[in-house]
Amino acid sequence: MKKINGPGLGKPIILAVFMLVLTILRPSSFLTVGNLSNVLWSISVYGIMVCGTIFVFLIGGIDLSIGSLCGLCAVTIVKVIRYFDYSNTGVLAGILAALAVGVLAGLVHGVIITKFRVPAFLITFATQIIFLGLSMILTNNKILSCLQPELFTAIGMKKIFNFPIPIYIMLLIAVISWFILRKTVLGRYVYAVGGNACASRLSGISDTKITVLAYVFSGFTTALGGIVLASMTQQCMASTGSGYETEVITAAVIGGVSLLGGEGTVSGALFGAVLIGLLNNGLNLLSVPSTEHGLVKGIVIILAVGFDALQHQEKFRNWLSQFKMKRAREAA
Amino acid sequence: MKKMMAMGMAIILAAGLTACSGGETVREETTTAASAASENKETTAPPPAGNSNKVKKNPYTEDIKIAYIAHDLSTPNNQAWLEGIERECASWDNIVVQSFNGESSAETQVKIMSDVINQKYDAIILQCSDGTALAPSVDDAEKAGIPVITLNLDAYTIHSALVMAVDYDAGRMVANEMAKEINEKGDVVIIQGVAGLTRTDNLEKGFRDTIANYPDIKIVDAQSASFEKETAITVMNSFLQNYEKIDGVFCINDAMAEGAALAVQSAGRKGEMVIWGADGESDALAMIESGDMTGTIYTNSWDEGSTAAKIALLMIGSEYDSAVLTETPQVIMEPIVVTIDTVSSIPPEDRW
Repeated sequence: MKKINGPGLGKPIILAVFMLVLTILRPSSFLTVGNLSNVLWSISVYGIMVCGTIFVFLIGGIDLSIGSLCGLCAVTIVKVIRYFDYSNTGVLAGILAALAVGVLAGLVHGVIITKFRVPAFLITFATQIIFLGLSMILTNNKILSCLQPELFTAIGMKKIFNFPIPIYIMLLIAVISWFILRKTVLGRYVYAVGGNACASRLSGISDTKITVLAYVFSGFTTALGGIVLASMTQQCMASTGSGYETEVITAAVIGGVSLLGGEGTVSGALFGAVLIGLLNNGLNLLSVPSTEHGLVKGIVIILAVGFDALQHQEKFRNWLSQFKMKRAREAA
Repeated sequence: MKKMMAMGMAIILAAGLTACSGGETVREETTTAASAASENKETTAPPPAGNSNKVKKNPYTEDIKIAYIAHDLSTPNNQAWLEGIERECASWDNIVVQSFNGESSAETQVKIMSDVINQKYDAIILQCSDGTALAPSVDDAEKAGIPVITLNLDAYTIHSALVMAVDYDAGRMVANEMAKEINEKGDVVIIQGVAGLTRTDNLEKGFRDTIANYPDIKIVDAQSASFEKETAITVMNSFLQNYEKIDGVFCINDAMAEGAALAVQSAGRKGEMVIWGADGESDALAMIESGDMTGTIYTNSWDEGSTAAKIALLMIGSEYDSAVLTETPQVIMEPIVVTIDTVSSIPPEDRW
């Protein structure tokens, strides 16, 4: 089994430098509870999603459909609420329906990938188009607004102790994911399947079950993300959530999650999401023109990831020299 | 001579509009005069040579195919235009309106244009994602005898007609209204759309140029939220964090203004600042009614789509040849300033 790696030191150092610069340049606005709340709020949707999708990455899979599935779940909850005439019953029914859609989509992914041995990339690429198409049909390609009831809008907007509810949802899902991955046998199996599916099968682990469960959990968190997103914007449309797959994959990769499987942590993935959120927030606070955001973000991410890679390279070099010395001693 | 030609075109268009509207009052102001907005249009290129393939058809009896190529079909504005076009053509069984989603991509729109020209559509109503990139396709269509009517987002080449909501003037109107509301002094922020689109650039330019007339109003920051409500929440949160005092917020479209209003509400700072958008979509009107947003510049997008369809039918049924034009004729829709005092003047049937 591969070592369960957390993020290296490179990214925290870059993040710390970035935060220090912002604290000096914007002393009154950056390092405040309100701003921290804003940063976490802005990443909460893909933060929730990445806590579930990391299971898929850890087993060596990929899910390209999460963006459009997030949109489909947002459409589902809004349609149900509207069907129940904006009542609280509609909100509860809508949440259940959206979660059911997410779980069902994950189940379908898992079953098709394991039973037919089809590459996850192809299947989820196809379902990405299907989910988008379904959303288009359900919305008639129009924006469906949902400005009430308060129970619905509170999910994305209401603050408890100065922090909006989506942040608590994100932290709760992160703790659940962390617990499953680090404290349960199931978590160990996830890493085992991702590290070496063949070896794990030989040691009696059902990679089929683990794969299906990983996609189901990813579908569940994607649905939660969709519910939060719909509530935050108080509307939905077919394109809601599109592009979130890129945000999730980027956050995971920056956070040290290997797309080849078996390597990465929830804290690392969330760290990646926070880094993106802080970058966006910092550039806005420094009033950097929007046209320059992409350039600055790209450079900071390369610095962070490159610093990490260098660190790993150093480790590798040390290990290699020690190995050579050992061999030389044995030969002597 | 150029002016004479342009005036002639304007008269033809106005006559067509009146004829097709079945006696309704036509609210649009038909003009070819260079408005501040049109000053930025690259409509001075040489006209497409030899447009001789135009075939006159009776639009009310013969089979007619009209293509509507949207910038992004999922937005309320694009949907409202499509609905306006469909409503206009609904009474005629012989007319088929086919919509195409440009997916905010000029490349996709170029491909669609090529298909539509090959399939010999009778007219194209187009919202250009990129006026320069689409210009050759528009020329090809006009040369093939297919009139191209652009909607809000212009093609940077001479073509049959442009139907547009005011942009520069809308920015100017918002600036003046905002200045009045904040007693001509204070700090203002702008939430921008995607740079490079004529309408959005002109809206911002109109706003900035006019605010410059008020020396005590300062534009302290401007950031893009890419027309997205969710991103606007994040951007507005940053503004609220960065500036203790904000007196006015101008968002280039209503979706972003709605997002900004939600952020202000969530931060408990509702009432501290005025929030303006532009477009006039139904959600924005609802938020103005509830006091969450201050105002918007409303354009009847159904009417705008319907106007484009009327022009298309007029051109299909005439010997109209865009090769004679020296600039693109324009129809500019009437802008309405909507605030809590005037929002009730927009009847439910006109809310898109």
